[in-house]
Amino acid sequence: MPLSRRIQRALPNGLSIALVGLVMLILFGPVILLALFSFNDSTVISLPWEGFTTRWYTEAINDDGAMHAIWNSVMVASVVTVASLILGTLASWGLTRIKFRGRPLVAGIHGAVLVVPWLIIGVAGLIFFSQIEMALSLNTIILMHIVVTFPLVVAVVSAGLIRFNPSLEEAAIDMGASQFQMMRYVVMPQIAPSLAAAAIFAFAWSFNNFEISFFTGGFEQTFPVWVYGVLRHSSNLPVVNAASTVIAAAQVLLVFGLWYGMKLMTRKRGGSDREAAEMITGAVR
Amino acid sequence: MGVPTASVPTVTGERPSRFSKLLKPFAFMSLPTAVLVLLFLVPMGILVYFSFQYGDLTGQAGFTFSNFTDILGDELYRRIALTTFEIATIAMIAQLIVGIPLAYVLAYKAGRFELPLLLALVLADELNPMVRIYAWRMLLGREGLINDALTSIGLIDAPIDALLFNKFSVIVVLSTSYLTYTVIPIYASMKAVDSGLFEAARDMGAGWFTTFRRVLLPLIAPGIFIALLLVYVPLFTDFAAPTLVGGTTGYMLGNVVSDLVLENGNLNAGAAMSFLMLLAAALFSLVAYQLSRVKQGAK
Repeated sequence: MPLSRRIQRALPNGLSIALVGLVMLILFGPVILLALFSFNDSTVISLPWEGFTTRWYTEAINDDGAMHAIWNSVMVASVVTVASLILGTLASWGLTRIKFRGRPLVAGIHGAVLVVPWLIIGVAGLIFFSQIEMALSLNTIILMHIVVTFPLVVAVVSAGLIRFNPSLEEAAIDMGASQFQMMRYVVMPQIAPSLAAAAIFAFAWSFNNFEISFFTGGFEQTFPVWVYGVLRHSSNLPVVNAASTVIAAAQVLLVFGLWYGMKLMTRKRGGSDREAAEMITGAVR
Repeated sequence: MGVPTASVPTVTGERPSRFSKLLKPFAFMSLPTAVLVLLFLVPMGILVYFSFQYGDLTGQAGFTFSNFTDILGDELYRRIALTTFEIATIAMIAQLIVGIPLAYVLAYKAGRFELPLLLALVLADELNPMVRIYAWRMLLGREGLINDALTSIGLIDAPIDALLFNKFSVIVVLSTSYLTYTVIPIYASMKAVDSGLFEAARDMGAGWFTTFRRVLLPLIAPGIFIALLLVYVPLFTDFAAPTLVGGTTGYMLGNVVSDLVLENGNLNAGAAMSFLMLLAAALFSLVAYQLSRVKQGAK
Protein backbone atom coordinates (compact mmCIF):
# COMPACT_ATOMS: atom_id res chain seq x y z
CA MET A 1 0.00 0.00 0.00
CA PRO A 2 1.65 3.23 -1.14
CA LEU A 3 1.98 5.78 1.60
CA SER A 4 3.55 9.11 2.17
CA ARG A 5 7.18 8.66 3.04
CA ARG A 6 6.77 11.20 5.79
CA ILE A 7 4.20 9.01 7.52
CA GLN A 8 6.44 6.01 7.08
CA ARG A 9 9.31 7.86 8.65
CA ALA A 10 7.08 8.76 11.57
CA LEU A 11 6.96 5.10 12.55
CA PRO A 12 10.19 3.49 11.43
CA ASN A 13 10.31 -0.21 10.70
CA GLY A 14 12.36 -0.93 13.78
CA LEU A 15 9.68 0.61 15.93
CA SER A 16 6.91 -1.33 14.19
CA ILE A 17 8.75 -4.58 14.72
CA ALA A 18 9.40 -3.72 18.36
CA LEU A 19 5.74 -2.89 18.91
CA VAL A 20 4.48 -6.07 17.27
CA GLY A 21 7.08 -8.13 19.13
CA LEU A 22 6.10 -6.61 22.47
CA VAL A 23 2.39 -7.19 21.90
CA MET A 24 2.94 -10.79 20.84
CA LEU A 25 5.16 -11.34 23.88
CA ILE A 26 2.50 -9.96 26.23
CA LEU A 27 -0.32 -11.89 24.54
CA PHE A 28 1.35 -15.25 24.17
CA GLY A 29 4.38 -15.22 26.51
CA PRO A 30 2.47 -16.07 29.67
CA VAL A 31 0.59 -18.95 28.03
CA ILE A 32 3.77 -20.36 26.49
CA LEU A 33 5.52 -20.26 29.87
CA LEU A 34 2.54 -21.99 31.40
CA ALA A 35 2.86 -24.73 28.81
CA LEU A 36 6.59 -25.09 29.51
CA PHE A 37 6.07 -25.33 33.25
CA SER A 38 3.44 -28.02 32.83
CA PHE A 39 6.44 -30.26 32.09
CA ASN A 40 8.36 -29.16 35.18
CA ASP A 41 8.77 -31.83 37.84
CA SER A 42 7.75 -29.66 40.79
CA THR A 43 4.55 -29.03 42.70
CA VAL A 44 5.08 -25.27 42.62
CA ILE A 45 5.24 -23.34 39.40
CA SER A 46 8.53 -21.52 39.75
CA LEU A 47 12.22 -21.70 39.05
CA PRO A 48 14.50 -23.57 39.31
CA TRP A 49 13.71 -26.13 36.66
CA GLU A 50 13.43 -29.49 38.42
CA GLY A 51 13.47 -31.71 35.38
CA PHE A 52 11.16 -32.91 32.64
CA THR A 53 8.05 -34.89 33.52
CA THR A 54 4.73 -35.81 32.04
CA ARG A 55 3.26 -36.76 35.38
CA TRP A 56 0.95 -33.72 35.55
CA TYR A 57 -0.65 -34.89 32.33
CA THR A 58 -1.19 -38.34 33.77
CA GLU A 59 -2.69 -36.77 36.86
CA ALA A 60 -4.90 -34.52 34.78
CA ILE A 61 -6.22 -37.52 32.86
CA ASN A 62 -6.98 -39.27 36.14
CA ASP A 63 -8.56 -36.15 37.64
CA ASP A 64 -12.30 -36.67 37.47
CA GLY A 65 -13.09 -32.99 37.96
CA ALA A 66 -10.86 -31.89 35.08
CA MET A 67 -11.97 -34.57 32.65
CA HIS A 68 -15.63 -34.11 33.47
CA ALA A 69 -15.37 -30.34 32.99
CA ILE A 70 -13.55 -30.66 29.67
CA TRP A 71 -16.05 -33.24 28.43
CA ASN A 72 -18.94 -30.98 29.49
CA SER A 73 -17.44 -28.03 27.65
CA VAL A 74 -16.82 -29.98 24.46
CA MET A 75 -20.35 -31.32 24.50
CA VAL A 76 -21.98 -27.98 25.26
CA ALA A 77 -19.90 -26.17 22.64
CA SER A 78 -20.70 -28.81 19.98
CA VAL A 79 -24.45 -28.61 20.54
CA VAL A 80 -24.31 -24.82 20.68
CA THR A 81 -22.30 -24.65 17.45
CA VAL A 82 -24.73 -26.81 15.49
CA ALA A 83 -27.82 -25.01 16.83
CA SER A 84 -26.24 -21.58 16.28
CA LEU A 85 -25.29 -22.44 12.70
CA ILE A 86 -28.85 -23.50 11.90
CA LEU A 87 -30.54 -20.55 13.59
CA GLY A 88 -27.89 -18.10 12.39
CA THR A 89 -28.05 -19.18 8.75
CA LEU A 90 -31.84 -19.01 8.72
CA ALA A 91 -31.82 -15.55 10.28
CA SER A 92 -29.04 -14.13 8.12
CA TRP A 93 -30.86 -15.27 4.96
CA GLY A 94 -34.09 -13.79 6.26
CA LEU A 95 -32.47 -10.51 7.26
CA THR A 96 -30.46 -9.96 4.08
CA ARG A 97 -32.60 -11.50 1.32
CA ILE A 98 -36.23 -11.20 2.36
CA LYS A 99 -38.13 -7.99 2.83
CA PHE A 100 -40.68 -8.05 5.59
CA ARG A 101 -42.31 -5.67 7.99
CA GLY A 102 -40.43 -5.10 11.21
CA ARG A 103 -37.12 -6.24 9.75
CA PRO A 104 -35.11 -3.35 11.29
CA LEU A 105 -36.60 -4.19 14.68
CA VAL A 106 -35.76 -7.90 14.40
CA ALA A 107 -32.25 -7.08 13.19
CA GLY A 108 -31.91 -4.67 16.09
CA ILE A 109 -32.74 -7.37 18.64
CA HIS A 110 -30.13 -9.66 17.06
CA GLY A 111 -27.57 -6.87 17.44
CA ALA A 112 -28.65 -6.00 20.98
CA VAL A 113 -27.79 -9.48 22.26
CA LEU A 114 -24.20 -8.95 21.16
CA VAL A 115 -23.71 -5.78 23.22
CA VAL A 116 -25.41 -6.81 26.47
CA PRO A 117 -22.64 -8.00 28.85
CA TRP A 118 -22.64 -11.74 29.54
CA LEU A 119 -22.72 -11.15 33.29
CA ILE A 120 -26.13 -9.50 32.97
CA ILE A 121 -27.42 -12.18 30.60
CA GLY A 122 -26.20 -14.79 33.08
CA VAL A 123 -28.04 -13.18 35.99
CA ALA A 124 -31.18 -12.77 33.87
CA GLY A 125 -30.95 -16.44 32.85
CA LEU A 126 -30.56 -17.57 36.45
CA ILE A 127 -33.67 -15.66 37.56
CA PHE A 128 -35.61 -16.77 34.47
CA PHE A 129 -34.92 -20.47 35.02
CA SER A 130 -35.71 -20.19 38.71
CA GLN A 131 -39.05 -18.59 37.82
CA ILE A 132 -40.07 -21.26 35.29
CA GLU A 133 -38.75 -23.85 37.75
CA MET A 134 -36.31 -25.42 35.35
CA ALA A 135 -33.41 -27.00 37.24
CA LEU A 136 -29.99 -25.57 36.39
CA SER A 137 -27.90 -28.05 34.42
CA LEU A 138 -25.94 -28.39 31.19
CA ASN A 139 -29.26 -27.90 29.37
CA THR A 140 -29.77 -24.44 30.79
CA ILE A 141 -26.15 -23.56 29.95
CA ILE A 142 -26.74 -24.73 26.37
CA LEU A 143 -29.94 -22.71 25.99
CA MET A 144 -28.33 -19.48 27.19
CA HIS A 145 -25.18 -20.08 25.12
CA ILE A 146 -27.29 -20.54 21.99
CA VAL A 147 -29.10 -17.25 22.45
CA VAL A 148 -25.87 -15.25 22.79
CA THR A 149 -23.94 -17.17 20.12
CA PHE A 150 -26.26 -17.46 17.14
CA PRO A 151 -26.45 -13.66 16.60
CA LEU A 152 -22.67 -13.80 16.14
CA VAL A 153 -23.20 -16.38 13.37
CA VAL A 154 -25.80 -14.02 11.89
CA ALA A 155 -23.21 -11.22 11.86
CA VAL A 156 -20.54 -13.34 10.15
CA VAL A 157 -22.80 -15.04 7.60
CA SER A 158 -24.70 -11.82 6.78
CA ALA A 159 -21.39 -10.12 6.04
CA GLY A 160 -20.71 -12.97 3.57
CA LEU A 161 -24.18 -12.74 2.01
CA ILE A 162 -24.02 -8.97 1.54
CA ARG A 163 -20.76 -9.23 -0.36
CA PHE A 164 -22.31 -11.76 -2.68
CA ASN A 165 -24.49 -10.43 -5.51
CA PRO A 166 -28.10 -11.68 -5.33
CA SER A 167 -28.48 -11.42 -9.10
CA LEU A 168 -26.59 -14.72 -9.38
CA GLU A 169 -29.38 -16.33 -7.39
CA GLU A 170 -31.97 -14.74 -9.67
CA ALA A 171 -30.07 -15.96 -12.74
CA ALA A 172 -30.04 -19.51 -11.39
CA ILE A 173 -33.81 -19.40 -10.85
CA ASP A 174 -34.35 -17.87 -14.31
CA MET A 175 -32.39 -20.69 -15.88
CA GLY A 176 -34.71 -23.20 -14.27
CA ALA A 177 -32.99 -24.15 -11.04
CA SER A 178 -35.25 -25.09 -8.19
CA GLN A 179 -34.99 -23.19 -4.93
CA PHE A 180 -33.10 -26.11 -3.46
CA GLN A 181 -30.67 -26.35 -6.39
CA MET A 182 -30.07 -22.61 -6.21
CA MET A 183 -29.24 -22.89 -2.50
CA ARG A 184 -27.11 -25.97 -2.98
CA TYR A 185 -25.07 -24.95 -6.04
CA VAL A 186 -25.07 -21.15 -5.97
CA VAL A 187 -25.42 -19.96 -2.40
CA MET A 188 -23.68 -22.70 -0.41
CA PRO A 189 -20.30 -22.53 -2.19
CA GLN A 190 -20.31 -18.77 -1.72
CA ILE A 191 -21.03 -18.72 1.97
CA ALA A 192 -19.13 -21.89 2.92
CA PRO A 193 -16.04 -19.99 4.16
CA SER A 194 -18.25 -17.67 6.22
CA LEU A 195 -19.99 -20.70 7.69
CA ALA A 196 -16.66 -22.29 8.57
CA ALA A 197 -15.47 -19.09 10.26
CA ALA A 198 -18.79 -18.75 12.06
CA ALA A 199 -18.55 -22.35 13.29
CA ILE A 200 -15.13 -21.78 14.82
CA PHE A 201 -16.16 -18.53 16.45
CA ALA A 202 -19.35 -20.08 17.81
CA PHE A 203 -17.45 -23.04 19.24
CA ALA A 204 -14.86 -20.78 20.86
CA TRP A 205 -17.49 -18.42 22.28
CA SER A 206 -19.31 -21.27 23.89
CA PHE A 207 -16.21 -23.14 25.03
CA ASN A 208 -14.63 -20.03 26.57
CA ASN A 209 -17.81 -18.59 28.02
CA PHE A 210 -17.41 -18.23 31.75
CA GLU A 211 -20.03 -15.78 33.04
CA ILE A 212 -23.13 -17.45 31.61
CA SER A 213 -21.98 -20.98 32.44
CA PHE A 214 -21.14 -19.84 35.97
CA PHE A 215 -24.60 -18.41 36.63
CA THR A 216 -26.80 -20.89 34.79
CA GLY A 217 -24.90 -24.15 35.36
CA GLY A 218 -25.98 -25.02 38.88
CA PHE A 219 -23.68 -27.81 40.04
CA GLU A 220 -22.47 -28.65 36.55
CA GLN A 221 -19.02 -27.32 35.70
CA THR A 222 -17.67 -26.39 32.30
CA PHE A 223 -13.92 -26.08 31.80
CA PRO A 224 -13.65 -22.32 32.56
CA VAL A 225 -15.86 -22.73 35.63
CA TRP A 226 -13.69 -25.61 36.82
CA VAL A 227 -10.46 -23.61 36.41
CA TYR A 228 -12.09 -20.68 38.22
CA GLY A 229 -13.08 -22.92 41.11
CA VAL A 230 -9.63 -24.50 41.41
CA LEU A 231 -7.85 -21.14 41.22
CA ARG A 232 -10.12 -19.67 43.88
CA HIS A 233 -9.08 -22.37 46.30
CA SER A 234 -5.55 -22.69 44.98
CA SER A 235 -5.17 -26.43 44.96
CA ASN A 236 -4.07 -28.83 42.27
CA LEU A 237 -2.19 -26.17 40.34
CA PRO A 238 0.15 -28.28 38.17
CA VAL A 239 -2.87 -30.27 37.03
CA VAL A 240 -4.55 -27.05 35.92
CA ASN A 241 -1.32 -26.29 34.09
CA ALA A 242 -1.43 -29.53 32.15
CA ALA A 243 -5.15 -29.36 31.38
CA SER A 244 -4.85 -25.73 30.27
CA THR A 245 -1.94 -26.55 28.00
CA VAL A 246 -3.90 -29.29 26.28
CA ILE A 247 -6.87 -26.94 25.78
CA ALA A 248 -4.67 -24.10 24.50
CA ALA A 249 -2.89 -26.45 22.08
CA ALA A 250 -6.22 -27.74 20.78
CA GLN A 251 -7.43 -24.18 20.25
CA VAL A 252 -4.29 -23.24 18.35
CA LEU A 253 -4.69 -26.28 16.11
CA LEU A 254 -8.36 -25.52 15.54
CA VAL A 255 -7.73 -21.91 14.51
CA PHE A 256 -4.90 -22.87 12.18
CA GLY A 257 -6.93 -25.72 10.75
CA LEU A 258 -9.76 -23.34 10.00
CA TRP A 259 -7.36 -20.82 8.51
CA TYR A 260 -5.89 -23.43 6.20
CA GLY A 261 -9.32 -24.73 5.23
CA MET A 262 -10.60 -21.27 4.46
CA LYS A 263 -7.53 -20.50 2.39
CA LEU A 264 -8.15 -23.63 0.34
CA MET A 265 -11.81 -22.79 -0.11
CA THR A 266 -11.25 -19.19 -1.18
CA ARG A 267 -8.38 -20.18 -3.49
CA LYS A 268 -10.48 -22.88 -5.15
CA ARG A 269 -13.06 -20.39 -6.25
CA GLY A 270 -10.47 -17.85 -7.28
CA GLY A 271 -10.74 -15.66 -4.23
CA SER A 272 -7.82 -14.01 -2.52
CA ASP A 273 -6.33 -14.13 0.94
CA ARG A 274 -7.79 -10.67 1.35
CA GLU A 275 -11.28 -12.17 1.45
CA ALA A 276 -10.26 -14.62 4.12
CA ALA A 277 -8.96 -11.76 6.23
CA GLU A 278 -12.20 -9.90 5.77
CA MET A 279 -14.07 -12.97 6.94
CA ILE A 280 -12.15 -12.85 10.19
CA THR A 281 -12.48 -9.13 10.74
CA GLY A 282 -16.13 -9.32 9.72
CA ALA A 283 -16.85 -11.37 12.81
CA VAL A 284 -15.66 -8.66 15.13
CA ARG A 285 -17.22 -5.74 13.30
CA MET B 1 -22.93 -4.07 14.81
CA GLY B 2 -22.55 -6.57 12.03
CA VAL B 3 -26.25 -7.19 11.59
CA PRO B 4 -27.24 -5.57 8.33
CA THR B 5 -30.34 -3.55 7.76
CA ALA B 6 -29.64 -2.47 4.19
CA SER B 7 -32.32 -3.48 1.77
CA VAL B 8 -31.39 -6.14 -0.73
CA PRO B 9 -33.77 -7.25 -3.44
CA THR B 10 -35.51 -10.52 -2.74
CA VAL B 11 -34.95 -13.53 -4.93
CA THR B 12 -38.10 -14.33 -6.82
CA GLY B 13 -38.77 -16.03 -10.08
CA GLU B 14 -42.13 -14.35 -10.65
CA ARG B 15 -44.31 -11.93 -8.76
CA PRO B 16 -44.75 -13.39 -5.29
CA SER B 17 -48.19 -14.33 -4.19
CA ARG B 18 -49.58 -12.79 -1.05
CA PHE B 19 -49.28 -16.15 0.62
CA SER B 20 -45.57 -16.62 -0.08
CA LYS B 21 -44.94 -13.02 0.92
CA LEU B 22 -46.09 -13.88 4.40
CA LEU B 23 -44.84 -17.43 4.49
CA LYS B 24 -41.24 -16.81 3.45
CA PRO B 25 -40.22 -14.43 6.22
CA PHE B 26 -42.07 -16.68 8.64
CA ALA B 27 -40.21 -19.77 7.47
CA PHE B 28 -36.81 -18.14 7.98
CA MET B 29 -37.37 -15.80 10.87
CA SER B 30 -39.88 -17.47 13.18
CA LEU B 31 -37.47 -19.85 14.88
CA PRO B 32 -34.56 -17.41 15.47
CA THR B 33 -36.95 -14.70 16.63
CA ALA B 34 -38.77 -17.08 18.96
CA VAL B 35 -35.43 -18.07 20.54
CA LEU B 36 -34.50 -14.42 21.03
CA VAL B 37 -37.85 -13.53 22.55
CA LEU B 38 -38.03 -16.53 24.84
CA LEU B 39 -34.41 -16.66 26.01
CA PHE B 40 -33.32 -13.03 25.74
CA LEU B 41 -36.23 -10.57 25.89
CA VAL B 42 -38.29 -12.49 28.45
CA PRO B 43 -35.37 -13.09 30.87
CA MET B 44 -34.33 -9.45 30.54
CA GLY B 45 -37.92 -8.42 31.25
CA ILE B 46 -38.02 -10.64 34.33
CA LEU B 47 -34.69 -9.16 35.45
CA VAL B 48 -36.15 -5.66 35.26
CA TYR B 49 -39.33 -6.80 37.03
CA PHE B 50 -37.28 -8.38 39.82
CA SER B 51 -35.30 -5.21 40.33
CA PHE B 52 -38.54 -3.43 41.31
CA GLN B 53 -39.71 -6.17 43.71
CA TYR B 54 -38.89 -6.99 47.29
CA GLY B 55 -38.79 -10.63 48.13
CA ASP B 56 -39.52 -12.66 51.24
CA LEU B 57 -39.20 -16.37 51.78
CA THR B 58 -42.40 -17.13 49.91
CA GLY B 59 -41.41 -15.30 46.75
CA GLN B 60 -41.84 -11.86 45.29
CA ALA B 61 -43.95 -9.78 47.63
CA GLY B 62 -44.50 -6.40 46.06
CA PHE B 63 -43.37 -3.30 44.24
CA THR B 64 -40.54 -1.18 45.60
CA PHE B 65 -37.81 1.28 44.65
CA SER B 66 -35.75 0.32 47.68
CA ASN B 67 -33.37 -1.94 45.73
CA PHE B 68 -32.24 1.08 43.76
CA THR B 69 -32.21 3.56 46.63
CA ASP B 70 -30.24 1.07 48.74
CA ILE B 71 -27.60 0.69 46.05
CA LEU B 72 -27.36 4.35 45.13
CA GLY B 73 -27.23 5.44 48.78
CA ASP B 74 -24.53 2.97 49.79
CA GLU B 75 -21.13 4.55 50.35
CA LEU B 76 -19.34 1.22 49.77
CA TYR B 77 -21.00 0.65 46.39
CA ARG B 78 -20.06 4.17 45.34
CA ARG B 79 -16.44 3.45 46.16
CA ILE B 80 -16.53 0.15 44.25
CA ALA B 81 -18.15 1.89 41.29
CA LEU B 82 -15.32 4.41 41.34
CA THR B 83 -12.69 1.62 41.46
CA THR B 84 -14.45 -0.12 38.58
CA PHE B 85 -14.49 3.07 36.56
CA GLU B 86 -10.82 3.65 37.30
CA ILE B 87 -9.74 0.10 36.35
CA ALA B 88 -11.90 -0.08 33.22
CA THR B 89 -10.81 3.35 32.02
CA ILE B 90 -7.09 2.78 32.56
CA ALA B 91 -7.34 -0.63 30.86
CA MET B 92 -9.20 0.96 27.93
CA ILE B 93 -6.69 3.80 27.55
CA ALA B 94 -3.77 1.36 27.77
CA GLN B 95 -5.35 -0.73 25.02
CA LEU B 96 -5.90 2.30 22.80
CA ILE B 97 -2.30 3.48 23.30
CA VAL B 98 -1.04 0.08 22.17
CA GLY B 99 -3.95 -0.72 19.84
CA ILE B 100 -3.99 2.32 17.55
CA PRO B 101 -0.29 2.06 16.58
CA LEU B 102 -0.67 -1.71 16.27
CA ALA B 103 -3.68 -1.33 13.98
CA TYR B 104 -1.65 1.19 11.99
CA VAL B 105 1.25 -1.21 11.59
CA LEU B 106 -1.15 -4.01 10.59
CA ALA B 107 -3.02 -1.89 8.07
CA TYR B 108 -0.16 -0.08 6.35
CA LYS B 109 3.21 -1.53 7.22
CA ALA B 110 2.98 -5.25 7.88
CA GLY B 111 2.96 -6.27 4.19
CA ARG B 112 2.95 -10.03 3.86
CA PHE B 113 2.84 -10.39 7.65
CA GLU B 114 -0.53 -8.65 7.78
CA LEU B 115 -2.66 -11.80 7.61
CA PRO B 116 -0.56 -13.95 9.94
CA LEU B 117 -0.58 -11.14 12.52
CA LEU B 118 -4.32 -10.75 12.17
CA LEU B 119 -4.66 -14.46 12.70
CA ALA B 120 -2.43 -14.26 15.77
CA LEU B 121 -4.75 -11.61 17.23
CA VAL B 122 -7.76 -13.82 16.59
CA LEU B 123 -5.92 -16.73 18.17
CA ALA B 124 -5.12 -14.59 21.22
CA ASP B 125 -8.82 -14.00 21.61
CA GLU B 126 -9.72 -17.67 21.16
CA LEU B 127 -7.37 -18.76 23.95
CA ASN B 128 -9.38 -19.48 27.04
CA PRO B 129 -9.61 -16.35 29.21
CA MET B 130 -9.35 -18.43 32.37
CA VAL B 131 -6.09 -19.96 31.13
CA ARG B 132 -4.77 -16.47 30.49
CA ILE B 133 -5.70 -15.27 33.99
CA TYR B 134 -4.01 -18.32 35.43
CA ALA B 135 -0.86 -17.72 33.38
CA TRP B 136 -0.60 -14.13 34.59
CA ARG B 137 -1.09 -15.23 38.17
CA MET B 138 1.76 -17.65 37.80
CA LEU B 139 3.98 -14.85 36.42
CA LEU B 140 3.12 -12.04 38.81
CA GLY B 141 2.77 -13.84 42.14
CA ARG B 142 4.99 -13.57 45.18
CA GLU B 143 6.71 -16.81 44.20
CA GLY B 144 5.97 -16.11 40.55
CA LEU B 145 8.43 -16.23 37.69
CA ILE B 146 9.04 -12.47 37.49
CA ASN B 147 9.95 -12.23 41.17
CA ASP B 148 12.00 -15.43 40.86
CA ALA B 149 13.94 -14.12 37.93
CA LEU B 150 14.56 -10.72 39.49
CA THR B 151 15.81 -12.15 42.78
CA SER B 152 17.99 -14.76 41.15
CA ILE B 153 19.84 -12.21 39.06
CA GLY B 154 20.18 -10.08 42.20
CA LEU B 155 18.17 -7.10 41.01
CA ILE B 156 15.96 -7.20 44.07
CA ASP B 157 16.50 -8.72 47.51
CA ALA B 158 12.95 -9.58 48.49
CA PRO B 159 10.05 -10.48 46.17
CA ILE B 160 7.83 -7.58 45.15
CA ASP B 161 4.32 -8.05 46.46
CA ALA B 162 2.91 -5.16 44.48
CA LEU B 163 2.63 -7.22 41.28
CA LEU B 164 -0.38 -9.34 42.13
CA PHE B 165 -3.74 -9.01 43.90
CA ASN B 166 -4.29 -5.32 43.26
CA LYS B 167 -5.62 -2.95 40.63
CA PHE B 168 -2.43 -3.25 38.60
CA SER B 169 -2.77 -6.98 38.02
CA VAL B 170 -6.46 -6.61 37.13
CA ILE B 171 -5.59 -3.93 34.57
CA VAL B 172 -2.85 -6.11 33.05
CA VAL B 173 -5.12 -9.14 32.75
CA LEU B 174 -8.09 -7.18 31.39
CA SER B 175 -6.02 -5.23 28.84
CA THR B 176 -4.51 -8.40 27.44
CA SER B 177 -7.86 -10.19 27.37
CA TYR B 178 -9.66 -7.60 25.24
CA LEU B 179 -6.87 -6.29 22.98
CA THR B 180 -8.13 -8.19 19.92
CA TYR B 181 -11.50 -6.45 20.08
CA THR B 182 -9.81 -3.07 20.39
CA VAL B 183 -7.41 -3.54 17.49
CA ILE B 184 -9.59 -5.20 14.85
CA PRO B 185 -12.35 -2.52 14.50
CA ILE B 186 -9.69 0.21 14.36
CA TYR B 187 -7.70 -1.82 11.84
CA ALA B 188 -10.82 -2.32 9.74
CA SER B 189 -11.58 1.41 9.70
CA MET B 190 -7.96 2.16 8.73
CA LYS B 191 -8.17 -0.26 5.79
CA ALA B 192 -11.02 1.86 4.43
CA VAL B 193 -9.00 5.10 4.49
CA ASP B 194 -7.79 6.32 1.11
CA SER B 195 -4.02 6.57 1.45
CA GLY B 196 -3.97 9.39 -1.10
CA LEU B 197 -5.15 11.59 1.74
CA PHE B 198 -1.78 11.20 3.43
CA GLU B 199 -0.05 12.32 0.24
CA ALA B 200 -2.31 15.33 0.10
CA ALA B 201 -1.63 16.18 3.73
CA ARG B 202 2.10 15.93 3.11
CA ASP B 203 1.90 18.08 0.01
CA MET B 204 0.19 20.74 2.03
CA GLY B 205 3.00 20.67 4.52
CA ALA B 206 1.47 18.77 7.41
CA GLY B 207 3.82 16.99 9.82
CA TRP B 208 3.15 13.44 10.94
CA PHE B 209 1.39 14.47 14.13
CA THR B 210 -0.86 16.94 12.33
CA THR B 211 -1.60 14.30 9.71
CA PHE B 212 -2.47 11.81 12.39
CA ARG B 213 -4.64 14.19 14.40
CA ARG B 214 -6.36 16.04 11.57
CA VAL B 215 -6.59 13.37 8.86
CA LEU B 216 -6.31 9.85 10.22
CA LEU B 217 -7.96 10.22 13.63
CA PRO B 218 -11.26 11.70 12.37
CA LEU B 219 -11.48 8.96 9.74
CA ILE B 220 -10.88 6.09 12.14
CA ALA B 221 -13.11 7.58 14.85
CA PRO B 222 -16.00 5.21 13.98
CA GLY B 223 -13.64 2.25 14.45
CA ILE B 224 -12.50 3.61 17.80
CA PHE B 225 -16.10 3.99 18.93
CA ILE B 226 -16.89 0.41 17.92
CA ALA B 227 -13.86 -0.68 19.92
CA LEU B 228 -15.17 1.27 22.92
CA LEU B 229 -18.55 -0.39 22.52
CA LEU B 230 -17.06 -3.88 22.30
CA VAL B 231 -14.45 -3.46 25.04
CA TYR B 232 -15.22 -0.62 27.44
CA VAL B 233 -18.74 -1.86 28.27
CA PRO B 234 -17.75 -5.47 29.08
CA LEU B 235 -14.75 -4.19 31.08
CA PHE B 236 -17.21 -2.74 33.59
CA THR B 237 -18.90 -6.07 34.19
CA ASP B 238 -15.91 -8.42 34.36
CA PHE B 239 -15.68 -10.38 37.57
CA ALA B 240 -13.44 -13.39 36.91
CA ALA B 241 -10.26 -11.31 36.63
CA PRO B 242 -10.93 -9.17 39.73
CA THR B 243 -11.83 -12.26 41.77
CA LEU B 244 -8.74 -14.21 40.79
CA VAL B 245 -6.08 -11.49 40.61
CA GLY B 246 -7.73 -8.46 42.23
CA GLY B 247 -7.29 -9.20 45.92
CA THR B 248 -9.18 -6.77 48.14
CA THR B 249 -8.32 -3.54 46.32
CA GLY B 250 -9.37 -4.81 42.90
CA TYR B 251 -12.99 -5.58 43.83
CA MET B 252 -15.29 -4.48 40.99
CA LEU B 253 -19.01 -4.07 40.28
CA GLY B 254 -19.14 -7.48 38.59
CA ASN B 255 -18.06 -9.01 41.91
CA VAL B 256 -20.86 -7.16 43.66
CA VAL B 257 -23.46 -8.65 41.31
CA SER B 258 -21.96 -12.11 41.58
CA ASP B 259 -21.79 -11.96 45.40
CA LEU B 260 -25.30 -10.53 45.76
CA VAL B 261 -26.81 -13.23 43.56
CA LEU B 262 -24.77 -16.32 44.38
CA GLU B 263 -23.39 -15.73 47.89
CA ASN B 264 -26.26 -13.78 49.47
CA GLY B 265 -29.01 -15.20 47.29
CA ASN B 266 -30.49 -11.71 47.05
CA LEU B 267 -31.91 -11.89 43.53
CA ASN B 268 -33.70 -8.54 43.79
CA ALA B 269 -30.63 -6.53 44.73
CA GLY B 270 -28.57 -8.41 42.12
CA ALA B 271 -31.22 -7.70 39.49
CA ALA B 272 -31.30 -4.01 40.44
CA MET B 273 -27.52 -3.75 40.21
CA SER B 274 -27.54 -5.54 36.83
CA PHE B 275 -30.29 -3.25 35.59
CA LEU B 276 -28.34 -0.14 36.61
CA MET B 277 -25.26 -1.46 34.80
CA LEU B 278 -27.38 -2.26 31.75
CA LEU B 279 -28.79 1.29 31.75
CA ALA B 280 -25.30 2.75 32.00
CA ALA B 281 -24.12 0.47 29.18
CA ALA B 282 -27.10 1.43 27.00
CA LEU B 283 -26.55 5.13 27.63
CA PHE B 284 -22.86 4.83 26.83
CA SER B 285 -23.55 2.78 23.68
CA LEU B 286 -26.05 5.36 22.49
CA VAL B 287 -23.62 8.23 23.02
CA ALA B 288 -20.78 6.30 21.35
CA TYR B 289 -23.04 5.43 18.42
CA GLN B 290 -24.19 9.04 17.98
CA LEU B 291 -20.63 10.33 18.20
CA SER B 292 -19.41 7.85 15.61
CA ARG B 293 -22.18 9.04 13.25
CA VAL B 294 -21.36 12.69 13.81
CA LYS B 295 -17.72 12.02 13.05
CA GLN B 296 -18.61 10.07 9.95
CA GLY B 297 -20.84 12.87 8.74
CA ALA B 298 -18.11 15.41 9.31
CA LYS B 299 -15.63 13.87 6.94
